[in-house]
Amino acid sequence: MEKAKISTSQLFIVMILFQLSNSLLIPLAMRAGRDSWLAILIATAISIFLFFIYRALYLYYPSLLLTDYTEKLIGKVLGRTLAFLYILFFLYSAARVLREFGVMLLSFAFPETPLFVASALMILVVIYTIYKGIEVVARTGELLFVVMLMLAFFLFLLIAISGLIDISNLRPTLEDSPKILKTVFTETLYVPFGEIIVFTMIFPYLNQAKKLKKTAVAAISITGVALAFTTILNISVLGVPLIERSLFPLLTTIQSIEVGEFLERLDVIFILALIIGGFFKVAVYTYCALIGTASLFNIKEPSKLAYPLGITVLFTSMVIASNYSQHIEEGLNAFPIYVQLPFQIILPVFLLFIAFIKNRKK
Amino acid sequence: MSYRKLRKKMHYKEQIPDSASDTQKSIDTSITENLNFIKQKTGNSPDIIIRTLAISHDPKVSAAIIHVDGLVDNPTINEFLVQTMEDSVQEKLQDEDLFTVFTEKVVAVGSLETVSDWDTLFQSLLSGDTVILLDGKNEALIASTRGGERRPVEQSDSEITLRGSKEGFTESINTNTALVRRIIKNPNLWVESMNLGKQTNTDLSIMYINGIVDENIVKEVRQRLGRVDLDAILDSGYIEQVIEDESSGLFPTVTHTERPDAVAGNLLEGRVAIFVNGTPHVLIVPAIMIQFFQTPEDYYVRFPISTLIRMLRVFMFLISLIGPAFYVAVTTFHQEMIPTDLLVIIASQTESVPFPAIVEALIMEVTFEILREAGLRMPNKISATISIVGALVIGQGVIQAGIVSPAMVIVVATTAIASLATPNYDIAISARLLRFAFMLGAAIAGFYGIILGLIMLIVHLVSLRSFGIPYMAPFAPLIPKSLKDSIMRGPIWSFNERPKSLNPQNRVRQGTDQKPLPPIKRGMMRAETKEGDKNES
Repeated sequence: MEKAKISTSQLFIVMILFQLSNSLLIPLAMRAGRDSWLAILIATAISIFLFFIYRALYLYYPSLLLTDYTEKLIGKVLGRTLAFLYILFFLYSAARVLREFGVMLLSFAFPETPLFVASALMILVVIYTIYKGIEVVARTGELLFVVMLMLAFFLFLLIAISGLIDISNLRPTLEDSPKILKTVFTETLYVPFGEIIVFTMIFPYLNQAKKLKKTAVAAISITGVALAFTTILNISVLGVPLIERSLFPLLTTIQSIEVGEFLERLDVIFILALIIGGFFKVAVYTYCALIGTASLFNIKEPSKLAYPLGITVLFTSMVIASNYSQHIEEGLNAFPIYVQLPFQIILPVFLLFIAFIKNRKK
Repeated sequence: MSYRKLRKKMHYKEQIPDSASDTQKSIDTSITENLNFIKQKTGNSPDIIIRTLAISHDPKVSAAIIHVDGLVDNPTINEFLVQTMEDSVQEKLQDEDLFTVFTEKVVAVGSLETVSDWDTLFQSLLSGDTVILLDGKNEALIASTRGGERRPVEQSDSEITLRGSKEGFTESINTNTALVRRIIKNPNLWVESMNLGKQTNTDLSIMYINGIVDENIVKEVRQRLGRVDLDAILDSGYIEQVIEDESSGLFPTVTHTERPDAVAGNLLEGRVAIFVNGTPHVLIVPAIMIQFFQTPEDYYVRFPISTLIRMLRVFMFLISLIGPAFYVAVTTFHQEMIPTDLLVIIASQTESVPFPAIVEALIMEVTFEILREAGLRMPNKISATISIVGALVIGQGVIQAGIVSPAMVIVVATTAIASLATPNYDIAISARLLRFAFMLGAAIAGFYGIILGLIMLIVHLVSLRSFGIPYMAPFAPLIPKSLKDSIMRGPIWSFNERPKSLNPQNRVRQGTDQKPLPPIKRGMMRAETKEGDKNES
């Protein structure tokens, strides 16, 4: 672990930015059709329970990272193996986000740039950031958050005054409630909400442990509401059929803005949000992998790991899928059930159970 | 004899003349010895004036007055030293000790000290004090007579304000500290002085307000200055470069000013000022990023105006940073962002231009930098020629020749004005350099390059610290209470606390009810205009 501290407001901002990042841009919970916003809200509520599991673990070991206390809970060999698997999980998640981000960027703004170049430029900035440590990640988040807030405000204002919103697109609600629940448990719960598992690697840096509950619950709820709101906006502007065919609904929404014959083609806003979001998520994931590796292998200067891990993420992102369709297919059908479900929910519950038993004996 | 022994011996020999000859020797009792020593030490320099006086009928008792020509205040020496000595010593010199007579009755100047070692003697002599040597005494008297020709207090050229004091610092450290003392009449305004530079022996003072400043910052300043072992300190820039946190970065982590009111304001917020003799630029630490966008005048005009002006400055900084890069990115990668009519105009202009946008931008930017550097160092008469050449020959010619498109000239000109309008030269110059990096980024990857560059810049800025204070405070880390004096400038009556990031000992700045209360709000009205009065129309 580094010798650094972050404040509650920084954690709050990092959590929001991390969860919003790419989920703002991709079609979220689209299997639930026009009720996808409901699915998002339900997933938010469930993810608050998830957070309480992570927090309970944190309260048993307030100064240790997730990859440290697995060893204390289930023994040296098993614990270290599990910690290592978690690090791989973080790296893989970072690579997935990087891949998605790179494809998005190329498909809409730079069709002739090779994917590798776009990803490499991004990973360069990520390496530089995580090299500087968690404090710098958090402070960068604070400044980027202001940019995102201003963009969101500006965007909403433009959509509202250009008269694109058509509430009738949202009706009827609750058409097929089992489908909503199915979407929640197969998809939305894991991305983006379950991803807060990475914060078990960041909670120990918090300077006021008492305020963790309030901060994190606020951050998760605000994220959920913001995502639901964006989805509502997208659906009411575009309608479900258009969203289902769109790779990036928010981009399509932005493109339909037209105010006073000169404010049109505001894609640059989308690029900004896309890059900031992608950057932040990859940075946080890679940082957690970095700090976990450093503590698992007792490395004195964690920042030195920034280069090898960054490059690992870059190459992993290139080889995990042979094309984007395969990547999406994995992301929808395999990754959530076989990887995210165990790492985000089953294993933490199992660890908490053991922690509970161990601590009761004493 | 082994080599090591030989070396040791030689080393020993080298040491001897150093320690024995000059500094260690103390002042002799014989005045001729002493005068000879001074002459020998200063190489008989003619500007060291030695005046010997016989102050007693007894020829054995003689005195010498030594000073450096030009460094002293001549009237003081003539009237208060030489004159009084010649007139009055003879009557008073009866049975008392000569030294006591001198210190108590004869020498009528501001401060008088007794020294017995040559080091201090030379230090004082070369700072402009007058040395009085008496025969038969192994001590010398130092009379403070510092003076001589100096630039008077004038308006600063580099920091001009429309409102506020017109005084600027001068090259004399005493004048400079006095200018600040005139503003803050408070015994808690503490000054510590020291002497740095092995050859130049430059006077240096640190100034802070005890009870407001965080002790740790003062300690850190002392510690960083304590390890300075430079040969020469010709300007505060020398000190700045050896005490700053990030010496190789582009952004300044120490700020400097020529205005006493700026120093006073910073001291009151809990900062430390470093005065260096021989320069009007006073260093202020710690420095945060947003300070470079503030001027003293911001606090003198009404707050909505200064808030808008501060925002304008940050905006100008951004233009000077990414203006040309933005144009390059838009015209190279994102033409769809330009409204069609405008795009047609730009396209028709660039049609005849043989270069890609990035080359155009580089040509114009480099030309501009050359013009600017030429204008900066030239006398006023020649700079008129430069502006004609710049405007007509380059501006007009380059477009007519079809080398650069008119739109690019507009972009570069706007950027240039924006860069000149940034109030602090140190921060403007970092934008000036980074502009080229952003242009390259834009040429390689369009907006993607620019935004990645900005993120990298943000990461760099938030990782900086100045004397332990985060550079981007109060934005990152966020300090909500300090935000009202950052990019915004809240009303003076709301500045109830000093900036938290500087961790001042005394947090409270002023009373909490400073908001003006016009009579009407207090329910007080002039009798003749009261409601229902017959005078009311």
